Amino acid sequence: MTELHEHHTAPARTGIRRLTGPGWLRVLWVTPIFFGIGVGLPVLIRWLAHWHPVWKGSVILTVELVTVPLGFLVGIGGFDYWAHYASGRPTVEDDHSSHGAKSWRDYFRVNTDHKVIGIQYVVTTIIFFCIGGLLAMLFRAELAQPGDQYFNPQTFNVLVSNHAALMIFLFVIPAFAGLGNYVIPLMLGAADMAFPRLNALSFWLLPMAGLMLVAGMVTPGGGPSAGWTCYAPLCSHQPLGQVFFNMGVQWAGASSIMTALNFLVTIITMRAPGMTFWRMPLLVWANFTTSLLVVIATPFIAGSQFFVMFDRVLHTHFFEPGGGGYVLGYQHIFWFYSHPAVYIMMLPGFGIISEVIAVMSRKPVFGYRLMALSLMAILVLGFSVWAHHMFVAGMAGWLRVPMMVTSMVIAVPTGIKIFSWLATMWEGRIHFTTPMLFALGFLSMFVIGGLSGIYLASVPIDIHASDTYFIVAHIHYVLFGGSVFTIFAGIYYWFPKMTGRMYDERLGKLHFWLTFIGFNLTFFPMHYIGLQGMPRRVADYAGRFADINLFISIASFGLGASTLVFLYNMAKSWKHGEPAGGNPWRALTLEWQVSSPPPIFNFDEIPQVVGHPYEYGVPGAKHAIFGAPKPEPVGTD
Amino acid sequence: MSSHAEPHEPGAFEHHGPPPIHYSSRVSPAVLGMFLFIASEIMLFGAFFTVYFFDRVVNKPFNGHWPPEGFHRPVYVALINTLILVSSSATMHWADTSIKKGNRAGLQAGLVLTLCLGATFLATQVIEYHRLGFATKDTSFASTFFGLTGLHGAHVFVGLTILLVMTIRAFRGHFSPEHHHGVEIGGIYWHFVDVMWIVVYVTVYLL
Repeated sequence: MTELHEHHTAPARTGIRRLTGPGWLRVLWVTPIFFGIGVGLPVLIRWLAHWHPVWKGSVILTVELVTVPLGFLVGIGGFDYWAHYASGRPTVEDDHSSHGAKSWRDYFRVNTDHKVIGIQYVVTTIIFFCIGGLLAMLFRAELAQPGDQYFNPQTFNVLVSNHAALMIFLFVIPAFAGLGNYVIPLMLGAADMAFPRLNALSFWLLPMAGLMLVAGMVTPGGGPSAGWTCYAPLCSHQPLGQVFFNMGVQWAGASSIMTALNFLVTIITMRAPGMTFWRMPLLVWANFTTSLLVVIATPFIAGSQFFVMFDRVLHTHFFEPGGGGYVLGYQHIFWFYSHPAVYIMMLPGFGIISEVIAVMSRKPVFGYRLMALSLMAILVLGFSVWAHHMFVAGMAGWLRVPMMVTSMVIAVPTGIKIFSWLATMWEGRIHFTTPMLFALGFLSMFVIGGLSGIYLASVPIDIHASDTYFIVAHIHYVLFGGSVFTIFAGIYYWFPKMTGRMYDERLGKLHFWLTFIGFNLTFFPMHYIGLQGMPRRVADYAGRFADINLFISIASFGLGASTLVFLYNMAKSWKHGEPAGGNPWRALTLEWQVSSPPPIFNFDEIPQVVGHPYEYGVPGAKHAIFGAPKPEPVGTD
Repeated sequence: MSSHAEPHEPGAFEHHGPPPIHYSSRVSPAVLGMFLFIASEIMLFGAFFTVYFFDRVVNKPFNGHWPPEGFHRPVYVALINTLILVSSSATMHWADTSIKKGNRAGLQAGLVLTLCLGATFLATQVIEYHRLGFATKDTSFASTFFGLTGLHGAHVFVGLTILLVMTIRAFRGHFSPEHHHGVEIGGIYWHFVDVMWIVVYVTVYLL
């Protein structure tokens, strides 16, 4: 027993090596050193440059928000390989000791296995999903009645801002990254991602970013309350917590860019023989397009957060009109990222839904190539619509109509996808499993959100509805009814693959119906009160909205409670679920052709891809064969 | 036995190692990764250029004077600095072609020269900052000036760090005509930093 135990914690470290080796013990002493650097560096520079005062809290804090996470990453071992390389020692053949998970402890260290990282991502993001949801329930409690009950307006705005920021940057975007991480190398027939160490590093940035956003809320002096959009110049004059927000977004963005880069390189260079672009599953296509969006667009939000932070810390005038800054510049730069970001938050979900609907309808995806091409069309068009967020901001008048037109045109590729999914289900043998229910819920809710989106794209309606609850309703129909439903669909669909066990179908269906009904009761009335003129992001409201707001608040608590069913189902099934077997859905894509959970290196041998991934119901159709005599060169199909 | 979780598939962890990797592209993953990273970097510079042109062209502050009256840009010092940085690209290229031909001395000399030229550039910029006579808090002209040159300076610093690692490895006997990925990828980044400087110089100092 002891011997076994020792074997599993290998390489065994004793004495001083336990402190110097990568891990939580090293975090404990390395992070304070980096904390010291974060204090010393600005003080030293200010002293050398004769700036007064030498000791300036806001500057030190900003530097700390860079050095402390770096210290944590050094401690946990995120940079060990590169440090070894930089020291000029010979590179060693990888012994794969950091690969794979034998016990739960292996999920709490730097792990290079994309399957472990995928689960690390999904679990972390669900924690932040719960925190973000609790914040929403807190401010719904405040909104249950007009007047100030529990929170003052400042705190209310902090809750709203952080609810949005956590849901967007710490849940939707990274949850898709997590699912993609788990599934993409498997679907491509690869043993891992192209850059496993970068992959591990990009995961460990994420809890840092999340903790920073949460810490910002409880900072002495007050949290960030400028909304998740953090408009300048308001944002540069917020309490101290705003700096946590700015830097948290930077870390999450860096994590996102690194993952996207990894996805792109993996998809381009690591496909199995025979896996041409036109044979890739649509989930891979969706993540390919999303990653392109991330690599191109995310640097813009990095820039925008730098500028508002510099306006605060270095007293620059990027957006301060007093010194010749251009206020609207912030909104242009911010939305040039954040509009593509809504596709970053939706395209991977499109991919998940394509998988689920084809498998559960037992039919090939209708219009496979057009499905892939419409993703590309959304990618291109997504960069040409950002100013529709600024119709009432006072921007150049001539920009309005072009942006209105492009915003409406982007509904075309999205419509192509909706009709393709419907045609895929047409006359199929539909299995109403939990992932399929979420897929159908997504389809119906996303169409509602898409339609209100087309309303809002037209300038006159947008001017009327701007900054009302109609916007809140729209964003939740596309982001909750859209993205969150697809994430749930994905988690249920790949749960058997990740854990080797089946989730409880009855609880899954209960979760779906509670979520679906709670969601509609919460958000549908918001269309109405929005058009009646109730403004968003305000703690108090007119008495005539009292009844309907009480109704919404009660419904939102029900919606929040439905998550408990999900958490219970996941925890229970992970431990006690029925063994699922390799391929419970009888799917053709490669991740289902190996055991559940897959072997440590995914495939004993690289499969040979011979056909399309969705040929359900086509006699004799094969996607891939194992044990082919010799891998042939990439086909020209 | 209970000290660790049972894998669901017995034998799943007693594997000999990963199967041989099948590459589906002729581009090496590391080079492709560097190019994508540079694409991302270009967009980051793009954000800084966007705010520059918004502040300068769309906003038209200071009665149309850019730089505002009383502000002077050290155009000629920066021109010399530009020449220094451009020549460092040439020495980097020399280092790269040397190791491809198996000329280790050329690699080492090229890297050391590049490192010195880059460090000179950075030192000149720090001294320039010190003697400019204006600081970040003085108008949006100064903000964008320090923004763009500072962002570029940070990239030079990162590039120098990469070059330093390559130099250490070159002197410790690594790299060969067959294996010189590190030099090649570090070189790509360094050339990017140089080309970016020319754009920054033209925009910030000359226009």
